[in-house]
Amino acid sequence: MRDTPSLPLKAAPAGAALFAPGRAAQRRAAVLSVLAGVVWLGQAAVLAWAISGLLAGAKVSVLTAGLGFAALGLLRVALADRAEAAAQSAAEAVITTARAAFVAREAGLAADSGQTGAGAQAALATEKLDMLVPFVTRYAPARARVMVLPLIILALAFWQSWAVGLILLVAGPLIPVFMALIGLAAKEASARQMTEIGSLNDFLVERLSALVDIRLLGAGQAVQDSFADQAGDLRARTMAVLRVAFLSSTVLELFAAIGVAMVAVYVGFSLLGAITFGAWGGAISPGAGIYVLLLAPEFFQPLRDLSAAWHDKAAAEAVQAEWVAHLAQPARPLPGAGAQVSRLSGPASVELRGCVTPAGQALPHIVIAPGERVALMGPSGAGKTSALRLMAGLELPEQGQITVAGQVLTAANADAWRARLGWMPQAPHFMASSLRQNLALGRKGDLDHALSVAAVSDVVAGLPQGLATRLGETGGGLSGGEARRITLARAVFGGPDLLLADEPTADLDAITANLVTKGLLAEAARGATLVVATHDRALAARMDRIILIGGKA
Amino acid sequence: MRALWTVFHLIWRDQRRALVRGAVLTVVVLVMGAALLGLSGWFITAAAAAGLAGAGAVFDVFRPSAMVRFLALGRAAARYGERVLTHDATLRALESLRLRVLASRLHAPYGQMIRMRGAQVLNRLTADIDALDGVPLRLVLPVMAGVMTLALALPVLWVLVSPAVALWGVGGYLLGAAVVVWRMGAVAVPLSRRAELATQAFRTRLIDMIRGRRDLAVYGHLSAQAAAVMAAEARRLVLRRQLDRAERKTTLALGLLTTLVVAGTLMLGILGVQSGQIAPAFAALGLFAALAMAEVLAPLRRAASDLGRMADAARRVVRDVTAPPPMALPPVCAAQAVPLAVQNLTLHRAGTDQALVRGLSFDLHPGQTLALTGASGVGKSTVLLAVAGLHPLADGQILLQGQPLGLWPEPDLRDRLTLLPQRSALMAGSVAQALTLGNAASDERLWQVLAAVQLDGVIRARGGLDFGIGPRGEGLSGGEARRLVLARAVLRNPQVLVLDEPTEGLDETTAAAALRGLRQVLPDAAILIAAHRAIETAMADRIISLN
Repeated sequence: MRDTPSLPLKAAPAGAALFAPGRAAQRRAAVLSVLAGVVWLGQAAVLAWAISGLLAGAKVSVLTAGLGFAALGLLRVALADRAEAAAQSAAEAVITTARAAFVAREAGLAADSGQTGAGAQAALATEKLDMLVPFVTRYAPARARVMVLPLIILALAFWQSWAVGLILLVAGPLIPVFMALIGLAAKEASARQMTEIGSLNDFLVERLSALVDIRLLGAGQAVQDSFADQAGDLRARTMAVLRVAFLSSTVLELFAAIGVAMVAVYVGFSLLGAITFGAWGGAISPGAGIYVLLLAPEFFQPLRDLSAAWHDKAAAEAVQAEWVAHLAQPARPLPGAGAQVSRLSGPASVELRGCVTPAGQALPHIVIAPGERVALMGPSGAGKTSALRLMAGLELPEQGQITVAGQVLTAANADAWRARLGWMPQAPHFMASSLRQNLALGRKGDLDHALSVAAVSDVVAGLPQGLATRLGETGGGLSGGEARRITLARAVFGGPDLLLADEPTADLDAITANLVTKGLLAEAARGATLVVATHDRALAARMDRIILIGGKA
Repeated sequence: MRALWTVFHLIWRDQRRALVRGAVLTVVVLVMGAALLGLSGWFITAAAAAGLAGAGAVFDVFRPSAMVRFLALGRAAARYGERVLTHDATLRALESLRLRVLASRLHAPYGQMIRMRGAQVLNRLTADIDALDGVPLRLVLPVMAGVMTLALALPVLWVLVSPAVALWGVGGYLLGAAVVVWRMGAVAVPLSRRAELATQAFRTRLIDMIRGRRDLAVYGHLSAQAAAVMAAEARRLVLRRQLDRAERKTTLALGLLTTLVVAGTLMLGILGVQSGQIAPAFAALGLFAALAMAEVLAPLRRAASDLGRMADAARRVVRDVTAPPPMALPPVCAAQAVPLAVQNLTLHRAGTDQALVRGLSFDLHPGQTLALTGASGVGKSTVLLAVAGLHPLADGQILLQGQPLGLWPEPDLRDRLTLLPQRSALMAGSVAQALTLGNAASDERLWQVLAAVQLDGVIRARGGLDFGIGPRGEGLSGGEARRLVLARAVLRNPQVLVLDEPTEGLDETTAAAALRGLRQVLPDAAILIAAHRAIETAMADRIISLN
């Protein structure tokens, strides 16, 4: 799919709009599912007719009864199947629309929104969105059935016998009252459970990334014990939620059972002749008695289905709230699409005039000529990294103007400008693909040359599968200095005209720092413009010029 | 499918008592349900027959109607008990399963451990194990209870109604359900596995896109990565549709099965009554029982739709749940034995047969420091891993206090020997929490150790031991983080301390002071260092070059 970076920020469905894409199919599902329920009324009529015929000693045709029941059954099953298909496609529309919007939005952002990490965001886009499926497929059709089927059955019951109708009329409305009471308790309990799940996940995900250390420090047992404690808490909370849910369905079942039993007792006594009122013409006929008895459980069934789906609704509401909160987080759009385009023409020069970073730091007037080697120095937090991001067109300044290659840098030419850049971030992230793919990132270039400039050819050759090796997220399998040099190789790979490096020698020992410096200078010697943000005086001393940012270095 | 059974076996072993009681109650619920509807049908029909015959006055209404009330209330109560019991037991069993998976991850081979992605393992521990609650709750217990209920119904219907009705009803449900579930399993299991892979690909690619968004944007690969994320979603969608279709087919088949069984029972009943073999009331009993027995199929719908996901999750979890490591007794060792002796050691490169280190031997005495040197990739780190019991030995042996490494139980081994690997992780929490991950210590001792690694000044300036470190050690520079994990290792107070390039990222002065401080707080430890800088070799009593 093509992403349009400016649009998705607004196009992402929020709140109730989350369910909009599936609304039409959902309505179809509701109608079909009600119709399937109505067909049962016909099936019950066939059964009642057959049994009462047998009682009366009338000639009941085996074929008419059997085939009639089966044909209606076939119709009912077919309608239910279509209802399910519609519900499934409604769920599919909801989930995939939301997911596509999520990905498009994330791909159009300049920085992570809010405090949630990538793992939590991925969880929202995958399993949490999936929790909407049962709500769409089960809860919505059940609600439609509740609104229609009990009324039809009530009407049929009154038609056959006003006493039976009265019993159902009294027993029915009690159920929503109890449901509402229990629903309140359920909501509270399930909110507590959700929080617990979240904190357990946070606890785990960090420990799971540090399993080696935990083992080497002999802390395995302690970690397992505290996990067992937390998991035990979670189980207790889950059981609290389930108890409420089970209690509510038990109450429902009791009411249903009492209602059905009262109908049965009335019908039984009526048929015995002990009761002679309740039907329109005196006592109820055997056929009508059997019919209302078959219908009575179906009067309560939609309510029971709805209560079984209650939990789905609570879960969906929790997800919906999280979704809305996620979209409400402030976000800055990424200038350009981050796509591959041909390089912007013109000299590899950068000028920052009167720029204020998104975080509000004012930067000095910076002019960097093609082929220059410049160090940005200054205290931590003064805006060195932000200045590099502005130069790379990863963010646009709050105020001021950036001129690159003789043109004003805008969202329209950001991609073309970035095509000329090499970029060495402070902390490397390795994708879940081979080292070769991590180095190339879809570009063409000379891999051997890049590896040798970064002095990592031997390191790569020593990896178990060479360039096909998959590294850990932050470069597990390499030392910190080796991972840093891999990012240098990646920067050199495309033959950049401007190389931006953020603290390229921080945390490195002298030998490794020297290797990295040599690689950077080799690129400058080839003619590339070089900008490093650094605290390292030795590195800064080897540049042509030092620019101070935020006071004295 | 075998994995599903293994999982059930594990759950069963963990919670046998509760599950047996739950299973009994499940059967009670189903039997009472069938009895309730059957009895009601018989009662109404018999009452009508009596009414028609004018025998209403002598018909015993009280016993059947009391029975109806008992069954209705008893069924609701049994249902509640069954649900609470089986759910509680299942959650408990899953909890211990989760713990076992965590434990087995803690004992995974080193090569696997360093490449583990936190999010994937988390998925195993949460989503996968959550999926398994269906194994007892929606698969095994309902199927067992269903089969038992049908088995009980067979003789009852045989005697009360007719052999034909009994065989048709029970046999129809039993055979039909077996065929439907078997078919669904065959289709859904492979599909679910592929759908799960697509979901995982979506997740991993999305996380990569978010974490690496700036790198990807600079290199013009961001929109390609977004497309790759959505390609995974498109693949999942195709599979999801196939799964949805399979689920619908199952529902359809179960619905048809119910219709056919009930229609057949109706026809057999009519024939029986008309040939005078069955009283109308008992035909009604059979018919109502056939309707009630359809409830046996209800859980199968959910089970069939979850089957693929459960089987897939079970396969992964069972692979992880290895037998717990045998609890060897700590060997009795002579107190004066050499802390560490390496004899004629040969090591292969990880995962290959290629010799990396050959015939290495040395003894390391208390208070001694030995530095291993050699060019990058010569095998220094591998020797260290082998010494810490994390790399298999191709030949030779390693003795810790006179006993082969493999004989030491894990906790005793870690008590005596601590390895500081090249990379360490820090978790969110205070400095004190980070330091005491391995063992508790007094604040005084913590400061002492921090001072030894030249970190006390830095930590004091930031507010002391309560200073909060962010996720993944944010808030500390690389050099500070390195010194903190070094302090954490020292705090273990091991007899043998193994350090892999301990001063990486430290300047000369700090590195030298930290190494001196280290020796001061651990005067008697045997220290083995993989050294890559002169400052590290300078503190050694002995140097072995691996070149």
